[in-house]
Amino acid sequence: MESNLSIITYCTRNILICILNIIRFILLTQGWFSIAKARYSMGNKQVSALQYASEMEPLVYVETSVLEGGTAELKCERKENKTEELKSDTIEDIGAKETVSGLRRRINTIQKGVKEEEQETDPQVKTKAESCTPEQRDPLKWFGILVPQNLKQAQSAFKEVITLSAEIASLQSAILATRKEMQAQMKEKQEKTQPEMKKEYL
Amino acid sequence: MPFSELYFNVDNGYLEGLVRGFKAGILSQADYLNLVQCETLEDLKLHLQSTDYGSFLANEASPLTVSVIDDKLKEKMVVEFRHMRNQSYEPLSFLLDKEKKPSDLTDPALITLSKPYSFSPHPPLMEAVNIAQTPAELYNAILVDTPLAAFFQDCISEQDLDEMNIEIIRNTLYKAYLEAFYKFCTSLGGTTADTMCPILEFEADRRAFIITINSFGTELSKEDRAKLFPHCGKLYPEGLAQLARADDYEQVKAVAEYYPEYKLLFEGAGSNPGDKTLEDRFFEHEVKLNKLAFLNQFHFSVFYAYVKLKEQECRNIVWIAECIAQRHRAKIDNYIPIF
Repeated sequence: MESNLSIITYCTRNILICILNIIRFILLTQGWFSIAKARYSMGNKQVSALQYASEMEPLVYVETSVLEGGTAELKCERKENKTEELKSDTIEDIGAKETVSGLRRRINTIQKGVKEEEQETDPQVKTKAESCTPEQRDPLKWFGILVPQNLKQAQSAFKEVITLSAEIASLQSAILATRKEMQAQMKEKQEKTQPEMKKEYL
Repeated sequence: MPFSELYFNVDNGYLEGLVRGFKAGILSQADYLNLVQCETLEDLKLHLQSTDYGSFLANEASPLTVSVIDDKLKEKMVVEFRHMRNQSYEPLSFLLDKEKKPSDLTDPALITLSKPYSFSPHPPLMEAVNIAQTPAELYNAILVDTPLAAFFQDCISEQDLDEMNIEIIRNTLYKAYLEAFYKFCTSLGGTTADTMCPILEFEADRRAFIITINSFGTELSKEDRAKLFPHCGKLYPEGLAQLARADDYEQVKAVAEYYPEYKLLFEGAGSNPGDKTLEDRFFEHEVKLNKLAFLNQFHFSVFYAYVKLKEQECRNIVWIAECIAQRHRAKIDNYIPIF
């Protein structure tokens, strides 16, 4: 019974990771193509490495943690503006399923962009907030204020790719753990049936 | 002066002949069909060798990238332009200088005004940029000696410089430049004015439309937006006033309905997968207007038109190269054929 369950989990996780990888590939190609279109209207040199500084603070951090069962969990955390509310329902280390849905909830709330005066004092999130710079600059502004739609589309595609990549990585680690579990259960099963067979012979 | 055609060739005959020769080397539809069938950038390089470009990519290290191709294309155009500029007399030399301005405008303006944000500056200005501590010093060190200084007088002051203001200043400079260029062309009179003025009017109107559309969803206020519209186009004054009040794309389209040529351009554009974008339609119309310049002789617009058509050709080749490099051939035919 247990082995069947883990086989099913293994297969569904594999299918899910294939689907996510396909989505990520499509988004990446779309993003780069939108950049090519933006370069067509703005000029190649207007959308290039000349527009940004060589050193900068990242806006998105990847937070790694280890769950029970030894699987690694990777979460993307975007730096919020000081005036934006940092949600209290931070992802806790419960289980893979809940973290994935928790991540989705968090993304939705970030995208709604709720602006409140107070900050959440959750300790885990507070350390991140303290490292925030006073001004949060949208990378889109590197290329000017009046940018064509294509550049905005490219930015949203790449943002999605970042969160997807973190999900894919955690899913991959979960798959490896499931595989180990499956192999352990197969071995157990073999050991169980072998003594029984020996009994029959004797 | 009357019978100016009789005297034109004295000073400008060689250059007009030269530019018409260059024009004959602009890629034709058949060349583009060849380029579109290339599988790799090396193929593209091979096909370009059989055109007027020759082996301009011969000394480039492999692997070839799209930005290298873009640089080399621009370099070739600059060499041709410099030759023409060096051989020219007034008023052609003045016109060619005016034509060079837009590309000069964006780089120094951006560097000057964005020094606080440590953008990576254009290499030749590196030393000057490192020494200067504030934008004002940069202005005094570099720009005040260039012809750009005249345009800066109107809009530079010691104000708080952030991205919004940089964008506003950049666009205000361009507006001042365009209006000055238009005034100069009308003062030349004759066939030059007849052919250049429609081109510049269209440029002004197109900028008004694009600024309006791109400003939706940004923090640019309507009053600020209105100040960026050049006044030398057909849209001035009524159309510009309406554009300043527009809130979405549909309202912009409604403004364009009053002008027959622009109505046609907006009708053909859309954001569905199969449609051309509005900017593509604007580029197409620009190519059409520039081609008309070659139908007349003994005037200066051929030089401006040649440079614009060459720029469009560069854009086309770079677009085809990007589609090949990204292996995304769906929209590879979106280039604009010229001749």
